[in-house]
Amino acid sequence: MQFTIQREALLKPLQLVAGVVERRQTLPVLSNVLLVVDGNTLSLTGTDLEVELVGRIQLDEPAEAGEITVPARKLMDICKSLPDDVAITLKVEDNKAVIKAGRSRFTLATLPASDFPNVEEGPGSMTFQVNQNKLRRLIERTSFAMAQQDVRYYLNGMLLEINKGQLRAVATDGHRMAMCTLDADIDYQERYQLIVPRKGILELARLLGEADDMVSIVLGTHHIRATTGDFTFTSKLVDGKFPDYERVLPRGGDKIVLADRQVLRNAFSRTAILSNEKYRGIRLMLSDSLLKIQANNPEQEEAEEDIAVDYNGSALEIGFNVSYLLDVMNVLSNEQVKMILSDANSSALVQESETDDSVYVVMPMRL
Amino acid sequence: MLLWSLLDFPSQPAVRKIIHVDCDCFYAAIEMRDDPRLRGRPLAVGGDADKRGVVATCNYEARAFGVRSAMASAYARKLCPDLLIVPPRMAAYREASQAIQAIFTQFTQLIQPLSLDEAYLDVTASESCHGSATLMAREIRRLVQADQGITVSAGVAPNKFLAKIASDWNKPDGLKVILPEEVEEFVRRLPVERLHGVGRVTAARLKSLGVDVCAELLPWRKQDLAREFGSFGERLWQLARGIDDRPLVVESKRQSVSVENTYDQDLPDLQACLNALAPLLEKLAQRLGRLEGEYRVSKPFIKLKFHDFTQTTLEQAGAPVTPEGYRELCIQAFARGGRPVRLIGVGVRLDHAHSLLGEQLNLF
Repeated sequence: MQFTIQREALLKPLQLVAGVVERRQTLPVLSNVLLVVDGNTLSLTGTDLEVELVGRIQLDEPAEAGEITVPARKLMDICKSLPDDVAITLKVEDNKAVIKAGRSRFTLATLPASDFPNVEEGPGSMTFQVNQNKLRRLIERTSFAMAQQDVRYYLNGMLLEINKGQLRAVATDGHRMAMCTLDADIDYQERYQLIVPRKGILELARLLGEADDMVSIVLGTHHIRATTGDFTFTSKLVDGKFPDYERVLPRGGDKIVLADRQVLRNAFSRTAILSNEKYRGIRLMLSDSLLKIQANNPEQEEAEEDIAVDYNGSALEIGFNVSYLLDVMNVLSNEQVKMILSDANSSALVQESETDDSVYVVMPMRL
Repeated sequence: MLLWSLLDFPSQPAVRKIIHVDCDCFYAAIEMRDDPRLRGRPLAVGGDADKRGVVATCNYEARAFGVRSAMASAYARKLCPDLLIVPPRMAAYREASQAIQAIFTQFTQLIQPLSLDEAYLDVTASESCHGSATLMAREIRRLVQADQGITVSAGVAPNKFLAKIASDWNKPDGLKVILPEEVEEFVRRLPVERLHGVGRVTAARLKSLGVDVCAELLPWRKQDLAREFGSFGERLWQLARGIDDRPLVVESKRQSVSVENTYDQDLPDLQACLNALAPLLEKLAQRLGRLEGEYRVSKPFIKLKFHDFTQTTLEQAGAPVTPEGYRELCIQAFARGGRPVRLIGVGVRLDHAHSLLGEQLNLF
């Protein structure tokens, strides 16, 4: 097997594929990337047995067909360290991958391609296309709320739901929830739900571009596959029952606050400095047209800030984990934000005042 | 006296009065109480010898033959052919334990249970028995005997470390009191292996340094002990002087939840171990479901005991708490021994999210 390729053409797909590969692996081959030359196409595959990413690159120069696996991290570090405009030649000799670029020469250990595992897919039960940009926005607006290491393993991922032509993403860690919905031209009228694991979601988001190109999605019983022009992403699904998110959406909150998002975000950031480092609690004190934000820590240090808001309900004092509020402020984009509250022990609903495709629910803290 | 001198030199806190209460061979004692025919003969509570069970506890008649807790039942039978092994009845032990805890509350609310059969009591501020910790310990022992029909041993001392040693001093059915003025002399003669936290390895290292009893530790400077024993060095320095400022942990939090199984036949290879995970994980999920309070998993762990009784525990922060996560841990743990496996344990280490500084409410 042999091919020659420009550094830039190899580096970007290699970085994406290597992102899937875990550093610490029990099976040595899982630390490797699979390289396959077929005709004038080079494909790179990385997997951790849960998520698989295949990148395809068109080769400009004639190549010798074959397949081999090489250490992903090392290959990527070599490519990154080479000068921009260099051509890289990789050739397999005596079970070693010999890489030449300019006056540099590297020899990497290899493992046979036959050792490289496939993520079992099974048949797809639904296929649709969606705008890459929109799907990326859907994920970015919700993924921060996924749990990371929860016993309730189904929370360590994101619910994707198709219902009446809409695609909805929901993520929650049990303390806060993020939900975003987009109109997609999906010809499926029933409700269809699946849970994509955390790593799968984060890798998919990295893969999706800013452009308006379409991404093709295939949903199977145990997997999801997304295909863009040059990449095919496959992830196993989480086998579990996601909580009934609609039950969590607060109804009938009578205290509606409108505020400037940037002003609010900056105030939260400042007061957070003197909140408890571990528990991050802050107090919000609402009165007519005024929101007072207060934080203190075990060293008896204190921060306080007053913000003018549009509010004319009864007074309320409520505590929150400031990180949860900041996470929401950081993903919203409109100038104005709307918070709907009811009492100190009930969840708050946060959304942009003009659009309602994104909804955030945050449970308070007892302070 | 000038005001500033009062502020600069606050009075020393009153000497604490700690009682450590330890039931004598608790499980076996409950069995003998409930079935008088078991008295006076070697008895163990634990798993069946034919099924690779382990002795949970045994009575003093069995101990005379060398039978000990955590010993394989089959080996215990070798030491004592007449040993009767009865299966544990956890519900009965829990019931007795709750009744004993209720007795403790007559004397203080500052109780730190260590297990079903032992606890620390801080009676410093208690006015029972005219404030005498010795009389309280006597009364507790009398009440437990009268109410539950079993004996307990108690140790009274100015701190937890000494109280625990004292409760073991006159076992069974004994009481040992270490008065504040006796601490120094008592600790001087104490063998270092009796110190809290000194296991076989540390004891051997101390012996190699010429230290057999605490008196021989006294000339050592704190920094020298720290150099030899790391962070434990400072603790050693304190214990050798009878110092232990640890407060009672009254509201203790669960640190982990786990499930384990000893197999009748060794699991011969990795695949057999992986196949054995599913029922264990199912049990673990049930236990986690019963957890009260708000706990978060910090990491999953797995324990393998190989056929030669060597064992390894592997835990990994960031590893997923899923069947796949445990498979990965199992593969890694098995690779450390590569031998047939007699026991597998799976569990999770827990963090708790409650705090005086704010309790995070849950969505569902």
